[in-house]
Amino acid sequence: MATNQENRTLIVTFYFCIGLFALVCLAPFVLAVSGSLSTEARLAAEGYSFLPRGFSLDTYKFMFDSKADQIFQAYLTSVVVTMLGTACAVLVTTAYAYVITVKGFRYRNFFAFLAYFTMLFSGGTLPWYILSTKYYHLDDTLAGLFVPYLLNVFLMYLQANYFKSIPHEIIESAQIDGAGHFRIFFRIMLPLGQVGLVTISLFYALQFWNDFYLSLMLISDEKLYTIQYMMYFMMANIQYLASGNSAQIGGAVIAPPLETAKMAMTCLTVLPIAVLYPFLQRYFVRGIIVGSVKG
Amino acid sequence: MSDEALQRPRPAGRKSRLQSLRNDSPLLLLALPGVIVLILFAYLPMSGLILVFKNYNYNGGIFGSPWAGFDNFDFFFSSMDSAIRATRNTVMLNVLYMLSGTIFSVAIAVILNELRSKSFIKITQSVMFFPYFISWIVIGAILFSLLDFDKGLINRLFGTFGMAPVDWYSDPWMFVVILVAANIWKSAGYGAIIYYAVLQGIDTAYYEAARIDGASRIQLMTRITLPLLIPSIILLSLLSIGGMLKGDLSMIMGVTFLNPLLLPTTDIIDVYVYRTAIRSGEFGFASAITLYQSVFGFLLVLVANKLAGWYDKESKLF
Amino acid sequence: MLKKRVWVSLFLATLLLITACSNGGESGETPERTTAGGNNESAGNGLKPAKLKIVLYGEESPRMKELAKAEFKDIVKKEINADIEFQFIPWTEYGGGKTDLMLSTGEDFATYTDTNYMVKSVAKGLYADLTPFMGTAAEDMIKTVDENSFKAFQLGGKQFAVPVGNKPNSGEFYSVLVRQDLLEEVGMNSVSTLAELEQFYDKVHAAHPELIGYASTDARRMLMYEYTDKNLYWQNDFLAIDESADNDQIMSWFESEEFKAYSGLMRGWYEKGIIPKYAATNTPQLQSDWNSGKAMFWAGTAARPFEGAATISQAVPGAKLTNYFLSKDLPKISRGTYSTAWFVSANAADPERYVMFFNLLQKNQELYDLFAYGILDKDYTLDENGRLTRNTTDSLIPDWLLMNKNFIRFDKSVPDDFIAQYKAWDDEAIISKGAGFNFDNTPVKNEETKINGVFSEFLAPIASGFLDYEENFPRALEKLKAAGFDAYIAEYQKQFSEWYAAK
Repeated sequence: MATNQENRTLIVTFYFCIGLFALVCLAPFVLAVSGSLSTEARLAAEGYSFLPRGFSLDTYKFMFDSKADQIFQAYLTSVVVTMLGTACAVLVTTAYAYVITVKGFRYRNFFAFLAYFTMLFSGGTLPWYILSTKYYHLDDTLAGLFVPYLLNVFLMYLQANYFKSIPHEIIESAQIDGAGHFRIFFRIMLPLGQVGLVTISLFYALQFWNDFYLSLMLISDEKLYTIQYMMYFMMANIQYLASGNSAQIGGAVIAPPLETAKMAMTCLTVLPIAVLYPFLQRYFVRGIIVGSVKG
Repeated sequence: MSDEALQRPRPAGRKSRLQSLRNDSPLLLLALPGVIVLILFAYLPMSGLILVFKNYNYNGGIFGSPWAGFDNFDFFFSSMDSAIRATRNTVMLNVLYMLSGTIFSVAIAVILNELRSKSFIKITQSVMFFPYFISWIVIGAILFSLLDFDKGLINRLFGTFGMAPVDWYSDPWMFVVILVAANIWKSAGYGAIIYYAVLQGIDTAYYEAARIDGASRIQLMTRITLPLLIPSIILLSLLSIGGMLKGDLSMIMGVTFLNPLLLPTTDIIDVYVYRTAIRSGEFGFASAITLYQSVFGFLLVLVANKLAGWYDKESKLF
Repeated sequence: MLKKRVWVSLFLATLLLITACSNGGESGETPERTTAGGNNESAGNGLKPAKLKIVLYGEESPRMKELAKAEFKDIVKKEINADIEFQFIPWTEYGGGKTDLMLSTGEDFATYTDTNYMVKSVAKGLYADLTPFMGTAAEDMIKTVDENSFKAFQLGGKQFAVPVGNKPNSGEFYSVLVRQDLLEEVGMNSVSTLAELEQFYDKVHAAHPELIGYASTDARRMLMYEYTDKNLYWQNDFLAIDESADNDQIMSWFESEEFKAYSGLMRGWYEKGIIPKYAATNTPQLQSDWNSGKAMFWAGTAARPFEGAATISQAVPGAKLTNYFLSKDLPKISRGTYSTAWFVSANAADPERYVMFFNLLQKNQELYDLFAYGILDKDYTLDENGRLTRNTTDSLIPDWLLMNKNFIRFDKSVPDDFIAQYKAWDDEAIISKGAGFNFDNTPVKNEETKINGVFSEFLAPIASGFLDYEENFPRALEKLKAAGFDAYIAEYQKQFSEWYAAK
């Protein structure tokens, strides 16, 4: 009886803690939404609040009026890049992750090291840029927006970690049945590592969705601008002003973007993922392994 | 290094080279796309590392430019006190981020694992993910509206309670706390997903068995859930140890606006290099220090990897 | 076994697809290039067709996008038979980042630079030498742009960049740009001393406590008349020269008595609240506040009264701006140049054509109007006095970049006497004795880098009044010396003296 009481207090505390942290996480986002719906003058005068200051859709109207086509096009590019990039990257990554988890594979550590080393050492932007533009010709191509990121070593290790949690007996019994590596990988590892697969798919999707660097480096054709890159353009002004370098260009008048626009852009880039994520969550289902072993 | 890696794990029976290649070939094929990506976008560009020891000019290019030896490192290591402070700040902040981030992420994942309300889990998990998307510049703007001396929300609140306003932006140690909190806030939700996903993959039979043995809820959490997370905790820690000397410039820029009064604790290596080399247009200096960060991180990882190997062979990175 | 093969081919197909993607984009572009270059025998002056790429920083406005593909393209084609393309990249890529990568990989383009970046890039061989083309390709420009502006961008007698415009630039930041509407509101007419300026602040502060005083952290120029009798001109953050003395002496600004006096003034401003407390942290906020009409004064330039009023009047419709010098006795100093200039990348196929394009921007009123304001009666209208009314807020080729006092048009709100004052702004100015000198930092690269670090951490906060001079300067000076400042200034003095003697 006492433990039951204890349990209930514990559970209530748990709900409370998680709920509180979630609220803290939500608050700035509410501020951003409310900021984007405020009028610039009142926002500047009175600061942020949880309810819009002088409700207006002007910011969005202004953004869409002048750049509607471009924003739509950028969204489309982002969506295509995210889907294509995630699909290819997950395939490349899981295959590599499988290889470094196969017990007894003689080059296992070699491949693991080969990948890990690149996490630490890089040759800098210049050679990367020369190779990507002059030799691989990735500049101004759709491929340029995702191919360089097809193997994220961090996510590869994460996936390997999920693979490792799959009971080894399942693999062994498959091997005894004569299954080859391809069969084991596609028929056993991928379905059983589904939770991991969903997780790294999500992270890959985020990586491609959030990336502006590849656009910045490789894209000059505005048809291939992604939504994050358009956002970066605006944020770059603030960053440049903050850096103090602007003093060198005496004549330039670089206006920092309006607060409302900054908030609106934040909302525009977050929303699609905010919508997508709960949808992905239904793949986080408990007990997959038990089910599949029986079946 | 690669030689050693090659030699270590030999299968017991000596097969002929051809035969082993035959057995391995599907694996090599599976790794191939990844290897190609690594070679194209990481290993070939690594030739640029020699630029660190050169004075780059356009006519010479990467290979023809004159050698500079260790000249590009001079600006950093010849002012030892700045170099030490920057290194210390970077390591300090990274250790704090790592500890606090791991504790929060694991705690959230473990607690979520105990909750039964599906909709509550769904909503809170999505919401905890939001901060990950908000750029440091926007976070900085929001923090500023909270912490500003004259108009900031917190000081106005202090005012209504009759307390003296605090000049937050002049207290370097207070900012360590703020940075750590901001980091938790931004990344704990992301980290929790990783751990939560691991827990979702766990066989529920473990719990059933323990419950039958009469284990309490707390016991289930500490005796089953936590130990199951340890390999993942080790993995994520190992991966972040490699980046021990690398800092996030955009974070410090966004949150502190590079305020000079806060530099005693926020002047991490990346910030120092930005303030000196990059603002002076000496990009060669900047890449030299990147190499220093990598080498240092690499040595740390070698040690940590060894330690992890003693704990469990499967926990090693390579 | 069969299954295995299926998977192998699937992987190969994926790879193929990826390579195909990357090639596809390229082959799609090539024919466009050739056709674009092919059909234009009618075009300008019997020149061979050429391709030009101009990189500009900031966001591209929708109207600029349209014009770049139509009228701008056509006129450049017609005048100099070149296919022009404008590429906009974010401001963070200025003087480094992508600009540096594009230069280092030998891309064919042109954009603008300041002298600092020019000196570094020329040392690395990244800029094309434009000297041979100045006579042939820049004829019109030489007439409409001040000669001294060209000299500033010469190194060792070679022209590495050409000035972007020609606007009065003397006494830049030496004046106080005051919100005249606020000044009049509190019953004052003008400001001519520091005391009056502070009085202005006190009065406005009493009436509008929400306003900040000075929207910047650097007032060494406009306050100069208060703390010294010298006529100082700063070469960079660390070094100044005295224009009233006839010698080649370089002055170490931070070690001077003048700096001590100046930082005392700034400390007073900071403690008084004229410079807001947040200035130590959020510098961009200062400019935002100024733009939204929440500040009383700023550092002035010849053009700021009308450039700035355009922005502020969106928030405060009645805003008026006026420049005041805190002393009228000293002559205004000009470095004889606009701080920005066009350069061409080292690997450009036809640098001459780029110079022709720069020349086009400053050639005559008609072309200037087109590039700065767009199409007459569509993007802007002119009244009988030649006053401008723009119908779009979109910026085209940024007008600050082109600004030439011979061509610039003013809108109706600018009073005639202001225009007269603006055009005559440089008349009594003297050219700085250091104008045209460019420091080669190669021998003291390390020292320069390190003292920049000392500046941003220790000296800038003292200079802006955030920290007290007496308490903090000795330590800052010690750091500065430890960073090799003496070697730096000695090298600077050496190069300057040599250059000065040769002049």
